[in-house]
Amino acid sequence: MGRKNINILIAVLISMFLVLAGCTSNEKDNANKSNEETAKPDTFIYGIDGDPGNAVNVITTGDRYGLMEIKALYSPLYMYNGKDNVEFFLAESMTASEDFLTYTAKLRKDVKWHDGEAFTADDVVFTYEQMLKEENGGWARSQLIFNDQPVKVEKVDDYTVKFTLPEVSMGAFEGLGNIFIMPKHIYEGETNIANSPKNATPVGTGPYKFKEYKAGESVTFEKNEAYFLGAPKIDKVVYRIIMDANSATMALQKGEINAFAIQPSDASKFKDSKNVTLMPYDEGRVGYLGFNLSSPAVQSKEVRQAVAYSLNRDEINTASYVSSDFYDNAYSILPSKATYYTDNVEKFKLDNDKSKELLASAGVSDLKLKLGFTANNPAQQKQAAVIQQNLQAAGISVELVGMDATALFQKMESEHTDFDMYLSGYIMGIDPDTFNSLFVTDSPSNFMHYSNPKVDELFNQGRVEKDDAKRQAIYEEIQQIVIEDAAFYPLVTNKRILAIDSRISGIEEAGLVPVYTFEDMSKLSY
Amino acid sequence: MLKYIFKRVMQAIPMLIIISIICFGLIQLAPYDAVDAMTTPNMSEKTVELIKARYGLDQPAYMQYFYWIKGILSGEWGYSIVTHESISKDLSVRIPNTIILVLPAYILALVLSIILGLVAGARKGKLADKIIDGLSSLGIAIPSFWMAMVLLFIFGYQLNIFPILGMHTIGKEGSFSDLLSHLVLPTTVLTLSFMPELVRYVRSSTIGQLSEDYVMVQKAYGASSVSILFNHVLRNVLLPVITIVGMSLPMLVTGAVVTETVFGWPGIGTYFIKAIQGFDYPIIMAIMLLSSSLVIIGNLASDILYSIIDPRIKGMGE
Repeated sequence: MGRKNINILIAVLISMFLVLAGCTSNEKDNANKSNEETAKPDTFIYGIDGDPGNAVNVITTGDRYGLMEIKALYSPLYMYNGKDNVEFFLAESMTASEDFLTYTAKLRKDVKWHDGEAFTADDVVFTYEQMLKEENGGWARSQLIFNDQPVKVEKVDDYTVKFTLPEVSMGAFEGLGNIFIMPKHIYEGETNIANSPKNATPVGTGPYKFKEYKAGESVTFEKNEAYFLGAPKIDKVVYRIIMDANSATMALQKGEINAFAIQPSDASKFKDSKNVTLMPYDEGRVGYLGFNLSSPAVQSKEVRQAVAYSLNRDEINTASYVSSDFYDNAYSILPSKATYYTDNVEKFKLDNDKSKELLASAGVSDLKLKLGFTANNPAQQKQAAVIQQNLQAAGISVELVGMDATALFQKMESEHTDFDMYLSGYIMGIDPDTFNSLFVTDSPSNFMHYSNPKVDELFNQGRVEKDDAKRQAIYEEIQQIVIEDAAFYPLVTNKRILAIDSRISGIEEAGLVPVYTFEDMSKLSY
Repeated sequence: MLKYIFKRVMQAIPMLIIISIICFGLIQLAPYDAVDAMTTPNMSEKTVELIKARYGLDQPAYMQYFYWIKGILSGEWGYSIVTHESISKDLSVRIPNTIILVLPAYILALVLSIILGLVAGARKGKLADKIIDGLSSLGIAIPSFWMAMVLLFIFGYQLNIFPILGMHTIGKEGSFSDLLSHLVLPTTVLTLSFMPELVRYVRSSTIGQLSEDYVMVQKAYGASSVSILFNHVLRNVLLPVITIVGMSLPMLVTGAVVTETVFGWPGIGTYFIKAIQGFDYPIIMAIMLLSSSLVIIGNLASDILYSIIDPRIKGMGE
């Protein structure tokens, strides 16, 4: 019996081997063919290093990759990129009344949803109402709340919407924009928007239609012929998920993908490349070291200042971003492009003696802190390592707690003591009022759980102040107080380096913007 | 025979239950609460209570354990706390992807290492043995991610023979030849990383067999060394290989973590890594439970197979 079985086993194994061997010889010809066809320029493949998931909606999706997906599929009324730089999409105009209390949006009449339904003022009103509903947990809710009062959104006629503010707010024009409009006829009656099964098949008004999501692999879009700003020039856009930056860089050089945001350390690989162009652009990001004030270890201001005095900003930034082509030192809570930015704040120049003094006066010795950061983010890895070294020199020992971005974010939102400090960053608006949700007491995005009544009050004043010079003074004071409190140590304004296929044109018209990368992908062409 | 199989199956069941209890206990110890993932800070207390009740999270731990087991047995593995996607749905996409990658590599490695191991064992100390044994040592020493990067650079980038990323070329998802060309490099890496230890195993077992009396008897009868090797030694060398095959069953799930990450292969490996980075406990536990159950099932399967092929084993169990 035994011998027979063994013979059968051998026969099976050998035949499998032969089949496999046969396959391998065929593969080479096929591979050559397929590589030539990859170059077919009707598809734009954008490599991303995160998974946007199969559940996006304009209310709760707030992460970069989710928002990139939203940007391709949906349109906002308008995008606010600065005082004199407003790009209109679903709205034709947005006019403020003389007393700055009502804003009226005139909507385009030629817009259709991807499923053919007409877009009207009802969709706009519905979207803003959903965003305002507390239980939905919408990402933009705080920018629609003015001194605890929500903005009132009303339909005037099918193509006019009126926004009434409870009180004057100078940041309102920016705050009311940048919100993507969702289809009322799809989501009406949905009680749980965040986990709705409808999120898996999004219907928008944007330049591209949702086609397919493949778990861990890609999201595919096809062009929306009926796009109101003109049909996109590239037929298909694919966001391809690539976790390993080395493989992605190689794939980009080879042309398997057409664009990828590279790390500064990889920039030198593309120096002489004819196929790939590097486009570093400022996203207005502020990268910072934040203190978690729900943790007892860092509740004393002296301790936080001691930490700040032992950090070497230049060293941290050069380690993470290689060359000053790719970053600027940050000193304020605002990015340099923001209105009323000032760098006239405490800069905490490296001073280990001062740091030790402060620790002694706080009565703290043998300080041990935990630093939370995103484990798969190369820049944060380096920042964390240099911070650990810097603080060690000042006699503070640091334990590194690395985790995934989503997990870190979820931790930051709750009150916890898992880490005392964390590395993060934000890309917010232009008007300083949009930054209030990060610093105002008990705001859900106040990840430091920071509270200073003076700051709360100043933010409230700044929002309603119509006089430019007075407003400037208010926001400069806010910047100084927050930095002085040392719960927030600004590190860097780093640039995003988009490496893109040199054959692609129209990048200027498409517009490189924070978070979404392209303001209007329909303008890209080969 | 049936009695022996029945007995072994009955022994495996309590092991599986113990493993599930350990996995569940770890979930309970974890600092994350499933509720944290489903609620947002601006939800009211009442909403949170409603959500808890909906998922049975207001029940004591032992009740939750039964819910969990009931879910797993009925194919409902819970939800990722990061993406809110259903885990059983995710696994049903990713496990086949991993099997496509790991199974051919493992079979190839097995076949090649049986041949190379036999040759090396039969020619112990000679040139062929030194080459094969030396290469095996090298293979054990080389980390697979490094090998993957080198192969990618040479064959994927410089020679441009094979694609670099993922399972499919965009737009050719249905093409079998496209899938094959994506398979070559990762399969090669996996084959080369599975092989060295198998070669060593077959080699030493061949050497052991060649010193047995029956080989000497065959030699005395004047049988050629090739016929001794293939008619007699091979058979005895292959028997224990069944054990190895059985024990490598969990590899189908977790055998390609590093390779998948480098090649962007959408399998269990990348899923697992992402879950670990994200503290996505339900996924980690599901995969832990799955792979530890496969260890038990693999052992069970190889014991049963062994008892079929070599009936003397049955006697040892009793």
